[in-house]
Amino acid sequence: MIFNVNINKSLSDNLKMGESTIQQMILEAQKHAIDTVKLEPNERSLKIELLIKKYINLDFMSKATTGSFWKKASEIQKEKYKAALLKQIVITIEDHLNTLATLSYKPIKSERRGKKLIYVRGLIEDPNKKKPDINLLWKLAANKNGSFLILDLEIEGISLVSSQKAEALSILRKNRGNFDTLLNKMTRDN
Amino acid sequence: MTKKFLFVKFIAALFILNGCSNPTKFASENRDPFEKINRNVFQFNKYVDQKIISPISKTYVKKVPTKIRSGVSNHLQWMDTPNTIINSALQTDMENTILASAKFLLNGLTLGFYDLDKGETVIKKRDFGSTLARLNVSEGPFLMVPLIGPKTTRDLTGTILDRQNMATLSSNSIDDLNLAEVPINIIDKRSKMSKTLDNIYLSADPYVKVRSFYLQNRRNEIYSEKYIENKNNNLDAEFEKLLD
Repeated sequence: MIFNVNINKSLSDNLKMGESTIQQMILEAQKHAIDTVKLEPNERSLKIELLIKKYINLDFMSKATTGSFWKKASEIQKEKYKAALLKQIVITIEDHLNTLATLSYKPIKSERRGKKLIYVRGLIEDPNKKKPDINLLWKLAANKNGSFLILDLEIEGISLVSSQKAEALSILRKNRGNFDTLLNKMTRDN
Repeated sequence: MTKKFLFVKFIAALFILNGCSNPTKFASENRDPFEKINRNVFQFNKYVDQKIISPISKTYVKKVPTKIRSGVSNHLQWMDTPNTIINSALQTDMENTILASAKFLLNGLTLGFYDLDKGETVIKKRDFGSTLARLNVSEGPFLMVPLIGPKTTRDLTGTILDRQNMATLSSNSIDDLNLAEVPINIIDKRSKMSKTLDNIYLSADPYVKVRSFYLQNRRNEIYSEKYIENKNNNLDAEFEKLLD
């Protein structure tokens, strides 16, 4: 009985930690949107990059989006891929950051999945009701230090990891697993 | 008569192409046997978008005041509501049928230009593609349709049937109005997706990105919670393995 209570307590603690990680990140992002609006684009990107790095598990995302090809990549290629992936995430967030600052985030529900994962569901809503609500699902897991990091984000059912994986695998398969081709394509226009 | 016969033949061809036999085939994202043709169509669509649609849409956003744009957007949504009403009824979703009908009648007072209930009533958009999905018709291969964009064969069939529905229901003058609204609809949608589309064009393989976005979003929209739960379970297992 005591054992069960402890498990439940640690589960609810984990869920709370997961939820507060997301809320903290959203608050910081909204603050960033306002604080960095007058900065040069490069400077702004750098600030956003630092913020994102703090909250996402980039190693995991890189592995998850390249499948079995990850093991075949060299250390330099792995590092370059991580940097390119981060850059893509930064660009996507930058584009929506100003809009995000005007909207509000509402947590909906969080749940434990399997042994390690936590799902945090939330809603982005327009206080003026002029824009439709956006459903978000964050997938998190604790790292070695016990703090929760984001593994994936689904926006209206579109998973960041799944779409990046489809893209990366399509290029890698067409080019016999050549990571350099993938890296060239990813950094071509950025 | 010949026109109708051709239409029936076209729909039949799409169904055959669809391979109605197995509704569970949607699981694979790579069901794209026409990839080569699709990629060429994507390039064509991208060219038209960048040279014609995008500049018009940017001017539209710049020159037309937000209130008017939102009115146009409301009106276009209102014009599409009968499809939602019919398909919600076909899917036996009575709540959505009633809500959509009530909202359609209420906003009809302003021809749909003003949302009189101020977004309070949330209606799930339903089309014939989603009705076909409910009837266990498989989604079929992925298609990139010229000037329309990404579709599955099932959704393309649904779109054609939806248009047919509207043509049957509406009078000639409303039908003409509908025709005039097609370009406005494209400009309106493009203006809302401006940043997303421009970002997609910058990605490593924009075609695959569009395909992935479309399929994920569409499946999430039309399939039941059971499908989403199944998909999440598979992804969870994959994630846990990677975390080990």
